[in-house]
Amino acid sequence: MEKEEPRIGVFVCKCGNNIAGLLDVEALEEYSRTLPDVVFTQWNLYICSDAGLEEIKKGIKEQNLNRVVVASCTPRTHEPLFRSVCAEAGLNGYLFEMVNIRDQCSWVHAGYKEDAMVKARDLIRMGVAKAALLEPQEIITSNVAVRALVVGGGIAGLTAAISLADRGFPVILLEKEKELGGMLRSLYRLAPMDMDASEVIDKKIKEVQDNPNIDIYTGATIDKVKGFIGKFDVTFSANGTSKDVRLGVVIIATGAGNLVPEGMYQYDGHKVITQWELEEKLKAGKIDGNNVVMIQCVGARSAERKYCSRICCAIAIKNAILIKELNSEAKVCILYRDIMAYGVQNEDQLRKAKELGIRFVKYDPERPPVVNEDKVTVFHHLMGKEIDLPQDMVVLSTPLVASEEAEKVASLFRVSLDENKFFLEAHVKLRPIDCATDGIFICGSAHYPKDVRESILQALGAASRASIPLSQGEVKIEPIVTSLVNKDACRGCGLCVALCPYNALEIRDTDEGRKVNVITVACKGCGVCAATCYRHALSINSFTDDQMEAQIHSFLAA
Amino acid sequence: MQYTTDIRVIRIMCTGRMDPVVMADAFVHGLDGLLVLGCLFGECHYVSGNFNARHKINMTQEMLAYAGMNPNRLSFRNLSSAESGVFVKHITDFSTEIRELGPLGGAADRVPLPKLKENLEIARTALAGPKLRWVVGKKPVFMDSGNKYQEIFTEHEINRTLSGIIIDEMATHSILAALQKKRRAVKDLAKELEIPGPDTLKYVLALKRRGFVELDGVDGTSPVYKYKTEEGMC
Repeated sequence: MEKEEPRIGVFVCKCGNNIAGLLDVEALEEYSRTLPDVVFTQWNLYICSDAGLEEIKKGIKEQNLNRVVVASCTPRTHEPLFRSVCAEAGLNGYLFEMVNIRDQCSWVHAGYKEDAMVKARDLIRMGVAKAALLEPQEIITSNVAVRALVVGGGIAGLTAAISLADRGFPVILLEKEKELGGMLRSLYRLAPMDMDASEVIDKKIKEVQDNPNIDIYTGATIDKVKGFIGKFDVTFSANGTSKDVRLGVVIIATGAGNLVPEGMYQYDGHKVITQWELEEKLKAGKIDGNNVVMIQCVGARSAERKYCSRICCAIAIKNAILIKELNSEAKVCILYRDIMAYGVQNEDQLRKAKELGIRFVKYDPERPPVVNEDKVTVFHHLMGKEIDLPQDMVVLSTPLVASEEAEKVASLFRVSLDENKFFLEAHVKLRPIDCATDGIFICGSAHYPKDVRESILQALGAASRASIPLSQGEVKIEPIVTSLVNKDACRGCGLCVALCPYNALEIRDTDEGRKVNVITVACKGCGVCAATCYRHALSINSFTDDQMEAQIHSFLAA
Repeated sequence: MQYTTDIRVIRIMCTGRMDPVVMADAFVHGLDGLLVLGCLFGECHYVSGNFNARHKINMTQEMLAYAGMNPNRLSFRNLSSAESGVFVKHITDFSTEIRELGPLGGAADRVPLPKLKENLEIARTALAGPKLRWVVGKKPVFMDSGNKYQEIFTEHEINRTLSGIIIDEMATHSILAALQKKRRAVKDLAKELEIPGPDTLKYVLALKRRGFVELDGVDGTSPVYKYKTEEGMC
């Protein structure tokens, strides 16, 4: 690329009174004129107004500017606008640099005009120094293979598969078990809607089986995953045969497992059982004895498993009501720490349970209930004494725990798990269904314990998110990514590859030996690789070491 | 929200971008304080960038302290982007701390200017070199999945290794810088650089073996070495 002398234009904004209220913008403009490589300066009342934007375009055309610096507000809101204006005038948008003299100066230094002016001059000087070193960048586009992979054939996976298939996208659905359906196959009725679990799941399974867009593979295991959004190459085996497929997006719906409370509260699977085992008994319509005691938070919210499994309270309430409906003589007591009956329907169920005479007794985890042969002893904190509850059956509410496969799936797709081995979202509020790696989405209890409604909702959300790249057919990526700026220096050691959280680097054999290859589509531009490379072969576009050093040097050059 | 006018902000995508060389370079050019602000641990927008940053910043701090600078001039603090109050607190605290330390190379630093600047230049060279970068880069891998024999190392073990390399690298690059200026005997180097004689000999012989220095005659009974070439680095 031919190097041309930088011709920098500096535009200083008054932002009405926002900047000009404290800073002498005209003096700043005058100061900018003295900076190296600056050939044109201008102040404006509002640069972001049509008239202001026109002035930038005019400056680029008439003054032949090849770098533009705008000293104004924040790049969070205005960088895309100014970039596109530069591009309209024929200047690459990445030859634009923004200096924030509003949020970082005039707004936060009221009453300190002199010091703020010094700072504003410094910031503009630093921006100009960086601008001189900027290089043009091109937006990266990459094609997307129009096919989705759904891992897991439980309620979440089935829902996501149907939703994608109904939009016309081919889906491959993998299930590790011999049958589809997941957890719902062993449940009886669903809280809080009181629906038949098998009815719900059988209907979904049939829909999936009848859908021509869905290829189902049961008894499947994933062997290898390569690639990135738009081009995931997955090798899996099912029924003894191996298959390679290319997919645009992946939805992880591997569900969760049940905690077997071995060694807790005399658990034996007969007289002391889990809610899970109770479901089987309820399905068979046979409950022995009249006295049932349920204990909540068994193996949850403990030192070992700190989290609340969220759904066990609703399950206990539902099952207690079912027992009462089966046998109105039954005495059911729920020993709890806190009742997690969130939402209107769960609240209604809780009220119904209380109306039916189901007894709720709060226990202190410091003094947990003790299960004996025919009674459960618990310290009643209101009465301030221990009480005995006769029991014919004790039911333990255990949490959902991460699937045994979670770690394997996570490492195959290189996505993160949280401390409890549930899949971790990219951002809890802003990107709650995406994995940090582009093109991979999560739904259902693989994410954290969820009831059926929540799993279905999240599955629809995941399918919706996943269908964006599928329907666009390509992904567009900001070119603020890693680039191999010094190919000769790279020795293909792989130090950077191991640290990349996005799987965006790979070592390739080339004619010049082993070299790193940047998968720009997958790169997010964090720069860990560039800061690590011992050969200084890598850099980040628009955030190079030279540019950062130039900013610091020019600050110190005052 | 109002805060001190002392700070100048440089935007980076992630603290993981902070190269030890850039940090050292800032002090070589006379910066009094460098504060790296990033996400809270476990909430990194770039998954693990701030953990990588912490390893590099800790190492750089140790290196710059060894070069004679007060390590508190470089700091890494964390906050979420929604915590304006915490942001103000961090920069107010840091500004106060730096004002107390005074200008670079003053009473707060172990080595005064202009010697400090020379030392910092040597530190910058060492931080650009392969040894420290390789070990600090491998640190998270060795702590997590281990080396190629699946041996997992504790942070303490790796830090001890890094400390040893910092001492070796500072000595090696100080010797190279001194020999670049003029030829010297080992005992003169040892005296001038305040490195024990036997260690100096060890470093000089290692440099000779790697082709960085060569024998340049004998003064009395002492062999004299001179700087050879920049070729053959690492």
